[in-house]
Amino acid sequence: MLKTFAKKSLAALAISGAALATTLSPAYAEYPEKPVTLVIPLGAGGSHDLNARILTSIVPSYLNQAMIVRLTPGAGGQKGTQEVANAPADGYTLLFTHNYIDMLQQYVENLPYDPMADFVSVARINFAPASVIVRADSPFLTFEELVAHAKEHPGELQLGHSGNWGAFFVPAAQMMKKLDFVMNMVPYQGGGPAMQALLAGDSDMSLAFPSTLGELLKAGKIRVLATAGEERVYDDVPSFTEVGIDGDIGFMHRFVLAPAGTPPEVLKKLEAAFAETSKDETFLQLMGRLGESVDPMTGEEYHALREGQAVAYQELVEELTSQ
Amino acid sequence: MIDQFFEGFAMAMRFDTMAMMSIGLFAGMLVGALPGFTTLMAMAILLPISFFLEPIVGIPFLLGIYKGGIFGGSVPAILISMPGTGAAVATSRDGYKLTQKGKSRKALDMALFSSVFGDTSSDFFTILMIFPIAYMVMQFGPPELFAVLLMSLVIIAATSGANPLKALIMMMLGLWLSFIGTDPLGGVERFTFGLFDLKSGIPLLPMLIGVFALPEVASVVIRNEQGRKLAALMGERLQFSEFRRCFKTICRSTVIGTGIGIVPGLGQVVAAMMGYSAAKNASDHPETFGEGEIEGVAAAEAANNAVNGPTMVPLLTLGIPGDNVTAILLGAFVAQGLRPGPQLFEEQGATVFAILVAMVIANLLFLVIGYLSVPMFSRLVTIKTSILIPMVIMFSFAGTYVYRSDPTDLLILVAFGIFGIIAKSARFDVMPMVMGFILGPSMEYAFGQTVAMSGGNALGFFLTERIGALTLLIATPIMGYLLWKRLYSNLKAA
Repeated sequence: MLKTFAKKSLAALAISGAALATTLSPAYAEYPEKPVTLVIPLGAGGSHDLNARILTSIVPSYLNQAMIVRLTPGAGGQKGTQEVANAPADGYTLLFTHNYIDMLQQYVENLPYDPMADFVSVARINFAPASVIVRADSPFLTFEELVAHAKEHPGELQLGHSGNWGAFFVPAAQMMKKLDFVMNMVPYQGGGPAMQALLAGDSDMSLAFPSTLGELLKAGKIRVLATAGEERVYDDVPSFTEVGIDGDIGFMHRFVLAPAGTPPEVLKKLEAAFAETSKDETFLQLMGRLGESVDPMTGEEYHALREGQAVAYQELVEELTSQ
Repeated sequence: MIDQFFEGFAMAMRFDTMAMMSIGLFAGMLVGALPGFTTLMAMAILLPISFFLEPIVGIPFLLGIYKGGIFGGSVPAILISMPGTGAAVATSRDGYKLTQKGKSRKALDMALFSSVFGDTSSDFFTILMIFPIAYMVMQFGPPELFAVLLMSLVIIAATSGANPLKALIMMMLGLWLSFIGTDPLGGVERFTFGLFDLKSGIPLLPMLIGVFALPEVASVVIRNEQGRKLAALMGERLQFSEFRRCFKTICRSTVIGTGIGIVPGLGQVVAAMMGYSAAKNASDHPETFGEGEIEGVAAAEAANNAVNGPTMVPLLTLGIPGDNVTAILLGAFVAQGLRPGPQLFEEQGATVFAILVAMVIANLLFLVIGYLSVPMFSRLVTIKTSILIPMVIMFSFAGTYVYRSDPTDLLILVAFGIFGIIAKSARFDVMPMVMGFILGPSMEYAFGQTVAMSGGNALGFFLTERIGALTLLIATPIMGYLLWKRLYSNLKAA
């Protein structure tokens, strides 16, 4: 009795499931008809994760579908990136990444994907400008003094950064190349440990993003010597351009990519949803509290930046690895 | 300061805070008990909920998930020898043996009580000593971390069994396994044979489940244990006299765990193993450890929970998260408009104290929630073997797959399962291998950093700037030898 009931109900379930599947997937269904997955090629708890948590709690109200964060860390971001490169180009699997994973790694390693050919840009969410920092009791009051000392004593000053080929390693290397000085670069496992090493006196100089800088600066523990970009972030601190480091140096862009071949109408919907999100008040408020800016860019605008990064990173890697 | 404390105390005494904390504790415990799901994932997923709650409700909610999750992880470790995280490995050693002896309730009770005791004491210590701890955290750089990690590995190898040579071989194997993948410093691929799946290294979870759970399944199947007496398997609850007998061990482990929590980068795995090793070393009957000694469960659980208090210190005083869990808490703090940093106590003192008080209350609440849940969990082992074993196998595979949704992990699971069965029948202990594998990458990174910091002149660097680390490095082999000799003579005499 129970067995026949079980069999019958299983059969019924199978039939209704099949029926559901056919009604849900007509050839030209309106996108999005199911939740969208946002793959992050990094681990839990990092700045990307936090940004994505806020992003995915707001985007659904403009996309009319849920958005799920999937963390796929591994191989320095390549694992998650490859996953999206191999995903169907239907707009249901997107990548939330940053420029150092996206454009730099192709010159350091053999990748199982081609970042330019396998992806299209959907939107840039924001960027973080890196600042050059020293401890408050450091003898260096300006960026010029620091560089002058490093030129006189090559390799003597310790520069703590967040990991090789990472968001602080690259601008530091670009800086040293541009102004021709050498410091001893010591990697730490992330920005937090690098900051701790600076405060503890293990390193003489480091870099940091504004979101982690605010409180330490207010408490007078550190001094900022220069900030990335053309314009000043802090009124009394020169920008990179002012101290002779110009170009797209020291910015970590956070942006969304989709697999190449995603239909244009799907891309349009996604772009619109991200654009609306960037104007959402709750979104702005939450990002503001996190200390992150909101600087939206369309996929097309960001694509131009990617091309520039490709050239710059290729030169940098060639120079650093040829020595 | 005192005013702020009382103001904070009053703030924490709210019904909705307690209610959300209880929900967090219970949810965390369930998630932690499911293999393949981690507390970290649960916190990351539920983080947005806290954005829209008041600070004094949302943050205790996340803390509840965290605390519940740590205990939850020891449930499968004790019941089916399936530690989901490195921190539960030491617990499963004696915990599972107790389950086999029909004392699973006692083991779970002991895990709960010693967790809560270790956590509460370290929280109190942290509240009282927050600024001295903040100073001490700063004294540990990569050279010190390397020295402490090396010492931990030596202690683990020396105290893990009667044959330290076998333990060393397994540890070396573990260290080698941790080298597979991309070199953490230079980005060079090692031992991957060009396979992309190996590029990010061997994942920990399939290894843990493979070497600990699958061999136990195999041995139950081989021994054909159909006729187990079901009701007897749950056993009785923990008696006060047993808790009192272990009290000294719990206190020792709490001190060790708190100390290890102060060193940035060490964490729960090292704490649990050190607490366990110390208890074994101090015991009059070290031969009972690993054979179902309830003191072993107490030692490991008190130590790995005592880490929690001090790891909050860099977050609260500097705004620097020490690990992924504190990074998520940092996100929750700042989204609430609380900016952890040197001035947090001056600007938001009352709220911070409220959160710290809530941490202590969470422990007490958890004592109740946990105590009520233990019978529910331990009922699991009363399931008929013919159903339980397939369930364990299913959990092994599902848990492994759910973690990263990568089919390669299933192959790795099976490979380590077979390896575990062979090692078990050859009487090789897999614990030193797992410890070498877990601690290897941090140790390697710290070593690379030390070399980079010294700028090529390592000896001069150690002698002039890092005397403390150097002393530890020199003391390590001596200490390992003495420990081994003492244990060995004890075992011989027994």
